[in-house]
Amino acid sequence: MEWTFTEYFALMFGLIFTQNFVLSQFLGLCPFFGVSKKRDSAVGMGLAVIFVMTLASVVTMLIYKGLFLNPSLEKYHMAEYLDIASFILVIASLVQFVEIVLKKLAPALYKSLGIFLPLITTNCAVLGVTQIKLTEFARPEYSLAQAVWLQSLYGIFGGIGFTLALYLMAGVREHLETAMIPESMKGMPIAVISGCCMALAFFGFQGFV
Amino acid sequence: MNIIVPVVIMAIIGGILGLVLAIASKKFFVKVDPRTDMVLEALPGANCGACGFAGCAAYAEAIVEKGAPIDLCAPGAGGVVAAVADIMGLSANAKEPNFAIVRCDGDGVRPRFQYAGVQTCKAATVMGLAGSFQDCPYGCLGLGSCVEVCPFGAIELNENNVAIINEDVCAGCGKCIDACPRNLIRLDPESRVIVVRCNNKDKGATANKQCNHACIACGKCVRECPFDAIHIENNLAVIDYGKCKLCGKCVKVCPKHLIVNLRAERKERREARLKDEK
Amino acid sequence: MKKVFRGGVHPHDFKELSKDCAITDAPVPEELVVPLQQHIGAPAKACVAVGDEVKRGQVIAEPGGFVSAAIHSPVSGKVKKLDTTLHPMGMTCQAVVITNDGEDQWAEGCNIEPDESKEFTSEEIVAAVKWAGIVGMGGATFPTHVKLSPPPEKKIDTVILNGVECEPYLTADYRLMLESPRTICLGLKLLKKVFNAENAYIGIEANKPDAYEVIKMTLAEMGGFAEAVLLPVMYPQGAEKQLIYACTQREVPTGGLPMDAGACVQNVGTAHAIYEAVYCKRPLTERITTVTGRGVSKPANYRVRIGTPAKSILELSGFDEDKTQKLIYGGPMMGAAHFDIELPVNKGMSGIVAMTDAKAFIHGPCIRCGRCVDVCPAGLIPSEYSIYGEKGMYLETAGIDIMDCIECGACTYICPARRPIVQWIKVSKAELAKERARAAAAAADKK
Repeated sequence: MEWTFTEYFALMFGLIFTQNFVLSQFLGLCPFFGVSKKRDSAVGMGLAVIFVMTLASVVTMLIYKGLFLNPSLEKYHMAEYLDIASFILVIASLVQFVEIVLKKLAPALYKSLGIFLPLITTNCAVLGVTQIKLTEFARPEYSLAQAVWLQSLYGIFGGIGFTLALYLMAGVREHLETAMIPESMKGMPIAVISGCCMALAFFGFQGFV
Repeated sequence: MNIIVPVVIMAIIGGILGLVLAIASKKFFVKVDPRTDMVLEALPGANCGACGFAGCAAYAEAIVEKGAPIDLCAPGAGGVVAAVADIMGLSANAKEPNFAIVRCDGDGVRPRFQYAGVQTCKAATVMGLAGSFQDCPYGCLGLGSCVEVCPFGAIELNENNVAIINEDVCAGCGKCIDACPRNLIRLDPESRVIVVRCNNKDKGATANKQCNHACIACGKCVRECPFDAIHIENNLAVIDYGKCKLCGKCVKVCPKHLIVNLRAERKERREARLKDEK
Repeated sequence: MKKVFRGGVHPHDFKELSKDCAITDAPVPEELVVPLQQHIGAPAKACVAVGDEVKRGQVIAEPGGFVSAAIHSPVSGKVKKLDTTLHPMGMTCQAVVITNDGEDQWAEGCNIEPDESKEFTSEEIVAAVKWAGIVGMGGATFPTHVKLSPPPEKKIDTVILNGVECEPYLTADYRLMLESPRTICLGLKLLKKVFNAENAYIGIEANKPDAYEVIKMTLAEMGGFAEAVLLPVMYPQGAEKQLIYACTQREVPTGGLPMDAGACVQNVGTAHAIYEAVYCKRPLTERITTVTGRGVSKPANYRVRIGTPAKSILELSGFDEDKTQKLIYGGPMMGAAHFDIELPVNKGMSGIVAMTDAKAFIHGPCIRCGRCVDVCPAGLIPSEYSIYGEKGMYLETAGIDIMDCIECGACTYICPARRPIVQWIKVSKAELAKERARAAAAAADKK
């Protein structure tokens, strides 16, 4: 089944604006608040997440449709119970891989991401990407190649949406540094409130798609 | 035996991923010195920047990888240096702690006019004249910029609106030095207890008009000093600590009581504080 | 009317207090205190000793560098002592105290009968300006001979005279334009000659229509070598970059100088001084100063000798010390408040304003109304500077063009929260300069 341009566009627009992983589906809040203090590190974190999400989408779809739903293996019903376990395995390895590579190639970024890099492992946004549209894209109407293609798009746009939210939040928080905030609201409380306001603003995109 | 196949498949997936990771970690291997973490652990973690590096982590790395001197940490003078020396296998010569000293007494500084601008010392001095809303153009402005920057809460303003340092808390990081637009604050080792607590470089007659406790460059201290350690430079008594033996004779002769023995004063203040706490 | 800069404010100008007072000669006091720092740049070095006899116009201090200006004795008399005095901006500076002998004798070669038919070469004019110690008379006090000697690669094709006088209260330039338009126009002609410039303008604000008419007529009589431009009333119309834009529609680039836009701006007072220096060989020893405000009973415009204590002309105008809450040297927007009424008049003191209702405001937090952004003539975001300045994050302002701020004070004037924005900007600029010096020193260390 071929997709039309409208459908592609709806997928992209939806993932970046209306169903933004952070602001609408509330996935991946830990790095969202953790790495959004400086715009530079927000961009780095966003790129790492885009990379992990895309690769994780591709690999998990290959495993799910190519292996678990493979006609010769279908009788074991692995798709029904083995998906999350195997996906976590894939994601964890990918994050480890990114960490090793970053440490070598971009030590400065590695340092500024700090603890949040390994946390991508447990970033529910990544697991969410692999799970949310899994059964829809794995339907028999799509060929394996098509399913992988769609899932990878889902990963890329989901990652871009995450990066956008993270970057905007970092911009807001850089300005919060100069704001007059009551003592008890300083730091995380005001960050969560600003995050909520941003989520409300993004809610305004509902109805576009 | 339906369970066998899934287990085998999971094992294969895991095996492949493991192999990839193993290759990657070989290929992108970065040597990390475990001592960096140990040094970081030993540092006080105040991130005050007194060492000249951007925080404790950067300093720890500089010690281990670039061989930076281990005695730069001001808040951790003494104990920390020993601990770091232990980790690095170097000999430690424990450093004497430094305290900040405010070179103004401020007693009797009279306001000249009402200053209504931004109430920070730097803002006041940048407006030129506003910085001299007191008679003395060299003394403490008393707007408390140093109080604000002190990461340890060691500075407060006394009843004359002059900054005083609480030596119990002061870690000698020197942040206040930058904050003071009049360059009144200096870092001195703990044992350097005789200080000239004035910065007035005007001639005696002018200085006398400006403040009750201004150095009038009378030279009594110069004549009294048996070690030739005190001189008048720019109408201000300056102690040469290379020669000073801390005998305290100058303290007794100063007609303006601005050469002080900090040991007695610190003891007094400490007792007063203890009393307050009780 | 031409297209002018964006932004700006309309403070009430209070010029009605002193605009109809003809310029009068202020009496020369018994003793004059001539500061050696009357200009931007290196202070001048005194070249007379205590007890020396000096004549009016005799050099008493040599320039202390290229960006510096010579200082001449404003009277004939005796050097009493070398002392210090306060500068209106707050620093202490050296000063020569001269006792007036009442003879008012000019030094040899000075004060000749002007021969207006004589032609001068560019070099002669610059040399005369340098000799006369002329500085920007509008208040900036930048040595004029430096402005007149741009690097050869910069071609200046436009000379602009600043007759805008956009500061409220001040009327010194206005009176000068009314009373001696001829010298101003001849001064402009000399300036045009210096650069071989093609265009010359005199910018005058629309609230001085009579001055505009007089200047226009004089220019027409002299052959129309320059154009008088009537500009809308707007503060800071008289700021260099804004005036260049209004007259030529050219913008001075970020971090650049007027010469980068091919223009040179001089105050009308400076043009008058240049005329006197070149034609009459009279160095700069007097200037027009407005004494005004509600703290004086008789506002006036005085021709006053440099070094006259402000007190003497203030008293002449009926200064009421009890009524006055704030005494400002210069205009109220950019001048400096001062506590000392003994301060000597210097080359840049265009006015002394005695304010009676100078309330000290307690500022509130920035409410982000954006009015300062609307009025900023440089197109900056003053609210950001004030927020960073308030938090002490001075170095953060480097990325948002703080160095383009001309410190005109329009933002502070308009701010409904009464925030002292310009003061924060000044602190930030000073801190940035310090940081830059520190970085340069560190870089030099590495080498």
